[in-house]
Amino acid sequence: MAESAVLSVASKPTVSTEMVTALSRTLGEHPGALAWRLRALARYDALTLPNRTEQRWRYTDPLALLPSAEALLRKLTSAASGSGNETAQQAAAEWKRLRDDEPAVLLMPGDGPRLNAAAEAAGVAIAPLWQTDADEELIGRAVPAAAGLFAALNGAAWNAGMTVRIPAGVELDQPLRIVLPAAAVSLPRLLIEVGPQAIATVIEEHCGGAAESRVVSVTELLIRPGARLHHVLVQRWQDGVHGHMTVRGRIERDAHFSSATAAFGGRVSKLDLGGILAGAGAHSELRGVVLGDRRQHFDHHTLHHHLSGNTRSDIDFKVAMAGRSRSTYTGLIRIEPDAPQSEAYQENRNLLLSAGSRADSIPELEILTDEVSCSHGATVAPIDPEQLFYLGSRGLGTDEAIQLIVRGFIASVMDRLPETVQTTVAELVSARLVRVTGGI
Amino acid sequence: MTDQRRPLFACRNLRVAIEDKQIVKGADLEIYAGQKHALMGPNGSGKSTLAAALMGHPAYQVEGEILLEGKPIQELPAHERARLGMFLGFQYPVAVPGVSVANFLRAAVSARRGEAVPIKEFRRELFAGFEALRIDRSFAGRYLNDGFSGGEKKRLEILQMLLLKPSFALLDETDSGLDIDALKVVSEGVNLAAGPHNATLLVTHYQRILDYVKPDVVHVFMDGRIVRSGGPELAVELEARGYDWLDEATAIEANETDTAAVAAADTAAKG
Repeated sequence: MAESAVLSVASKPTVSTEMVTALSRTLGEHPGALAWRLRALARYDALTLPNRTEQRWRYTDPLALLPSAEALLRKLTSAASGSGNETAQQAAAEWKRLRDDEPAVLLMPGDGPRLNAAAEAAGVAIAPLWQTDADEELIGRAVPAAAGLFAALNGAAWNAGMTVRIPAGVELDQPLRIVLPAAAVSLPRLLIEVGPQAIATVIEEHCGGAAESRVVSVTELLIRPGARLHHVLVQRWQDGVHGHMTVRGRIERDAHFSSATAAFGGRVSKLDLGGILAGAGAHSELRGVVLGDRRQHFDHHTLHHHLSGNTRSDIDFKVAMAGRSRSTYTGLIRIEPDAPQSEAYQENRNLLLSAGSRADSIPELEILTDEVSCSHGATVAPIDPEQLFYLGSRGLGTDEAIQLIVRGFIASVMDRLPETVQTTVAELVSARLVRVTGGI
Repeated sequence: MTDQRRPLFACRNLRVAIEDKQIVKGADLEIYAGQKHALMGPNGSGKSTLAAALMGHPAYQVEGEILLEGKPIQELPAHERARLGMFLGFQYPVAVPGVSVANFLRAAVSARRGEAVPIKEFRRELFAGFEALRIDRSFAGRYLNDGFSGGEKKRLEILQMLLLKPSFALLDETDSGLDIDALKVVSEGVNLAAGPHNATLLVTHYQRILDYVKPDVVHVFMDGRIVRSGGPELAVELEARGYDWLDEATAIEANETDTAAVAAADTAAKG
């Protein structure tokens, strides 16, 4: 991390009450929002930087992920004065490309989010975050400002926020695609509520950015009783981006949360991803594919928090690292005393494609009740040279063989993606694999 | 037409070492188009090392010459040897989890032919191969050798050989671990693949498979060397007497006997 540390700031950036107040007013938020922001700010001020004695921050320098005070001030002031977004053009181009290429529903905070006719007819509602007091009871339910330094910073200073409400009983055939282009500093916040018995697929796509871009995002997913949410997080930032993403699904009774992460981009990327199993019958599955090369640094943390009994959780994270890239995975399963008859499984497998790559995997279990079924597994291994020889003996060159092996390695995640996004993610994987094997 | 004077496959004074341990201590083979040879030897004699080195396993240090249709290939990586027409049936086929048999085979056949095989055409060939080897079609969707029984793996090796149509197939202990029915199916596959323009080298410990696949030449491989070569009757003799008698009998005049026997057998095969 030494190299990132050089590029990063020396301490957490200062955020003032004045900055936050001006930001909230300019965004035209409900008065309740400002009070909430200021509470988050107090939290942010009180928190010290996480340090390496914490498992979750053992391998990643938090300073590498934070914007500088100057950049943050510049960003918040420009958003507050309404002078626009330096990636507006890029975002507009992205928006056009997506609209031309895909019939999916598209949303983009800060650039006039739009819904297609089908979603509109189904009653899906989108709005900038906290324009009405209806958001007050929802915000912070999955990611409270107290969750940590990055949640507190985003809670105080989000500059592009969006609420998506999917009404009860609605079944959306097409995915909702939310595109979040990285600016010099981006603090996007999404609040998505999937009503009781509703079924939806949401793609959260982090893209764009430039060297030294900083992103601190928060996504709250409220999955009401009996609802099913497929969540797909695609991280395909440009090379130099540093970012911290927090995603939490709060899963109520008999609801199902299935989240798949596909992470490829950025220089330093940390994802804090979790499911809170809050009602009996809740089911959460977190899957991930991470492909890194060059000097990329990936850090993935998963949490499965069983608050209620008779809940099920499952994690399958596949990481392949090439070049001099490195990956850290920490996975926490916490089962509360009041959550008997819970099942929790966690598996993290890492494939090292080069001698210079590295992966660490740290499972953590906090099981506070008996009568649970729980298992975890982690492996870190290079590609088996006997596999390469076997495939070679059938005419496949090293690059081709490695691509095939990696595709097989991630198949358990790819096969379980919702059909509507399988092709898109498979294309991203293919493009990435070509670069990854080219750089070994 | 095949040049009868030039072997389809040859190796000359082949020496193979791994981590500075000499395993193969000078092996010579000449195999002509239309021939089937058997290389027999006790466990630990270095047969599998020889087979892997001929295919281009990168862990081995190889000296000497390997010729495929007259072209030296000892410097080429495994995948280039495969594209030129060599095939190795593995004693222990390697599992590649998550990669389906169909996807793998289509990639392999495309690599061998130098162009992508259209899906329809590929499926037709694949299912014809399945039928010939009495393999269930569900194999196509299973992950390559992952959770396969020993017999299933060996059938899949032969299936690959049928689809890849090598000019020279090396089969390393393809018969080991097979029950008699599977052995018959595998042998039928070997016979089906064999023709006037290709050649096969069966590496085996037992004489059993030679009841079904008739070799033209039998070589005995011991302690890193071919100690004797002869016609099919040599395999029968080995079955009756084991390998021990060869230890003393051949130590002195191994090389001369080799050359003479191979020449005689070759003449017989061509006649």
